[in-house]
Amino acid sequence: MNKGILRALSLCALLAVAWSASAQKFIFTPQWTAQAQFAGYYVALEQGFYRDAGLDVEIVHPNISKSALNRVRDNESQATTLQLCQAMEIIDSGVPLVNILQTSMNNALVIVSREDVNPLLLRGKRVGTWSIGFDQMAICLSVKEGLNYQWVPFSSGINLFLTGAIDATVAMSYNELYQLIQAGVEITDNNIYRFCEHGYNVQEDGVYMAQSYYETHREEARAFAEASRRGWEWAVEHPDETLEIVMDYVNRNHIGTNRVLQKLMLDEILRLLVDRESGKREYRLRPDMVQLANSLMLENQIILREIPYDKLIAR
Amino acid sequence: MKSKLIRYIRQSLPGKIILWIALLTILVFVASLGFMFSQSRKSVRKEAINRAEQVLDNTVQRVTNILDRVEVATNNFDWLPVRHLNAPDSMFVYSRRILELNPDVKSCSISFEPYYFPKLGKYFSVFSIKQDGGIYTTREGNPDYDYFTFDWYQLAKLLDRPVWTEPYFDFSLDNAYEPDMIASFCKPLKDEKGRYVGTISTDISLSWLSETISAVKPYPNSYSIMIGRGGTFFVHPDSTKLFYQTIYTETLDHPDPDRTALGKAMQAGEEGMKPLKVNGKDCYVFYKPLATTGWSVGIVCPESDILSGYRKLRGAALVIVFLGLIIMLDLINRVINHELEPLGRLTSQAKTIASGEFDTELPDEGRIDEIGQLSQSFTGMQHSLINYIEELKQTTAQKASIENELKVASDIQMSMVPRIFPPFPERKDIDLHAAMTPAKEVGGDLFDFFVQDERLYFCVGDVSGKGIPASLFMAVTRNLFRIIAQQGRTPAEIATQINEFLFKDNDQGMFVTMFIGMADLGTGALNFCNCGHNPPVLVRKGQKAAFMDLKYTNRPLGIWDEGEFYGEEVANIREDQLLLYTDGLNEAENADKELLGNDEVLRLMDEVAGCPSREVVLHLQLAVEKHRAGIAPNDDLTLLCLRLLKG
Repeated sequence: MNKGILRALSLCALLAVAWSASAQKFIFTPQWTAQAQFAGYYVALEQGFYRDAGLDVEIVHPNISKSALNRVRDNESQATTLQLCQAMEIIDSGVPLVNILQTSMNNALVIVSREDVNPLLLRGKRVGTWSIGFDQMAICLSVKEGLNYQWVPFSSGINLFLTGAIDATVAMSYNELYQLIQAGVEITDNNIYRFCEHGYNVQEDGVYMAQSYYETHREEARAFAEASRRGWEWAVEHPDETLEIVMDYVNRNHIGTNRVLQKLMLDEILRLLVDRESGKREYRLRPDMVQLANSLMLENQIILREIPYDKLIAR
Repeated sequence: MKSKLIRYIRQSLPGKIILWIALLTILVFVASLGFMFSQSRKSVRKEAINRAEQVLDNTVQRVTNILDRVEVATNNFDWLPVRHLNAPDSMFVYSRRILELNPDVKSCSISFEPYYFPKLGKYFSVFSIKQDGGIYTTREGNPDYDYFTFDWYQLAKLLDRPVWTEPYFDFSLDNAYEPDMIASFCKPLKDEKGRYVGTISTDISLSWLSETISAVKPYPNSYSIMIGRGGTFFVHPDSTKLFYQTIYTETLDHPDPDRTALGKAMQAGEEGMKPLKVNGKDCYVFYKPLATTGWSVGIVCPESDILSGYRKLRGAALVIVFLGLIIMLDLINRVINHELEPLGRLTSQAKTIASGEFDTELPDEGRIDEIGQLSQSFTGMQHSLINYIEELKQTTAQKASIENELKVASDIQMSMVPRIFPPFPERKDIDLHAAMTPAKEVGGDLFDFFVQDERLYFCVGDVSGKGIPASLFMAVTRNLFRIIAQQGRTPAEIATQINEFLFKDNDQGMFVTMFIGMADLGTGALNFCNCGHNPPVLVRKGQKAAFMDLKYTNRPLGIWDEGEFYGEEVANIREDQLLLYTDGLNEAENADKELLGNDEVLRLMDEVAGCPSREVVLHLQLAVEKHRAGIAPNDDLTLLCLRLLKG
């Protein structure tokens, strides 16, 4: 929890100070390096949707030597993307955040076993996870099911998994899962556990701002959210052109990926925009999912108090 | 064009022969060359595989030697940090020292578990690197460089054994991406109790490795690759694939079982050769694992390169064979055309002869082979044809003459029987009509009648056989009938005497069936003698037609020399119809060889009961023609119908 609080405080400090440092520029920092996960924002910028909305937006990615948190600490961003559980963790640590746009309507977290074994049978085994988080649901699962996983944090990549240093790994269905497949790992019905299919379907990516910033810049926040939403809708309508834009960002940022992976990621990310129940792209936080996240994380003491739905969303 | 060619081949013997020779020759050439090419290909391929494998072995050995040196250097040094775990500052010295003594090692870090040295904080990692000709040593580890989560640190810890990391880009001291690719040999450090305390990692620049492997080029268009455990390309001529793509990447979009099988084999550390299609070209990939690294090196050789020598040879052989074939066929064409030219001329002359110019002179080539013999035979045939045609002309002329004579004979024969009807216009009590239709120009049937002393003599006969002999026999019989009958004899006596005359000098064995009748015009009685002839039809007034019930049939005239012929008598036939006929009536055949039949004759007679004799005869003639339905008559037909009326 200390790590989470520190992380949240840092982010909050950044978000609060950033706007005063740069009144004109609206700097948006996705939580990871350039990839199709953030296609809608690239599209909104490249297609001029932000400009049309009266915003001077710049997208600045974190990198390995300078994480998103560090960028925040350096007062460089006004908005960022966070997963719902991440955001709730930060709010729980005392840093008020506001969700101004929810893109993901589904959970993309999976656990993949190295052998053809159900991940739920790997009690006490080593399971890799990201050193910077995203693993709240996996922790909940491990506790709830009494799996007692030995978590092995890794900085990036899938090498621990491939060498056999760990028995399973968490992965995002749009990212690491395809990396594993690309590395020759065979995914069967047996060796993958999809959280969204087992009562853990908690929304993920959304755009968040510091509460204080939001209070004083509601118009900018609304304009940014609306333009970003236009970007995502355009991406749905023009997947091929969107992939070109994504690849342009990928190449400019020297990201170790390729067109095939980014295409697969884009397809999956666009799929995750669609709510499983309504079949529509709703761009909203669902109260029931917030409630589910609350109950799971409270039960596992990832957060210590309930984060009400009303506190999360921009009013 | 195609149809013209086919027509030419069908019409031309040389064309057919050349075509067959060409087909058979090509078949033999294709089979022979196919076998030769197949064997050559196998041999060349085997040699190429040996060569590529040897090159690959040498390369892998060279790389392995250097990697081994790094492993040995690390193994020789790791005891020093472990022995001095109580002196963290000594780690600076050791990390420098390993670089000083080992030119292959680019950098080295000795890193410890969190808070291993409590006074030094969470992070304690000593890192030395060769840079700008010197060695720089620094302490690393902070929340932004959380080395505990890095592969080079964790692999040794988790696997509990020395291990090579995947090649990667490390950070340089100024925190920028280092363009050089490196790999780390990591070894767990353990204290005296065997507890893991940290990792020693010696790093090696892989630019030399990339150059060494890339330089392997056993064939002009071959290239080398190296993949890591995850199939990632770390050596590849296409720089866009380096680090960014794996051997499976393309299969995500376009499944390729060959590529997948190759990837699996290379990842599994196997050694061997597999086929692969690269940009649509068939290639072979020779692969071998790199020592204990988990990496695998491969040489991709296009099949076209491997088999280029073979293909050149094959191309040259095909050109030679093709040209040879063309020349051979041309020569064969010339020879065959030369040899068969007389045949062509013969064919042409034969066509001229066929058109009617029989005196066309056939060429004499002076040859004694089959064509010469054919020519001679044809000349002989031509002469025979000329003679035959000459004979045919004569025969035709003779036939025309005979036909003319036959016409005369027919006229004469017809003049021998009464031709004027009604025959007795002055007599109202005789209604008689007769007709004779020979099947050929002249026939063997006869009829006759005349009135003498209030008696009507009449007869109908049928001579055996047809044509001229029958007609002559008929003429003789008719004359005998008239001469003898005029002597006032009964029909039986007339028959007896005719038989006597005919039997004499009847060397031909001919005979005649005959019905001889004598009607008493006063009483209406009929006396008759039937000599083997068809029984007449008698239609009694008011009754159905019926064949006469004959007591004596007698024998035909002219063939047996024996006694008397017996006559019979019907009391009165006045108002009755009497039909005499030859078997040309009841045995008239149609196309299906069906006879008209006796029943039909009776039915026909019933149809014309009471009618004048002329109508009866015409009715029967029409019925016969209708039955024959256009086919030629099979026998002479003679009809004689008599009806005695009240004077």
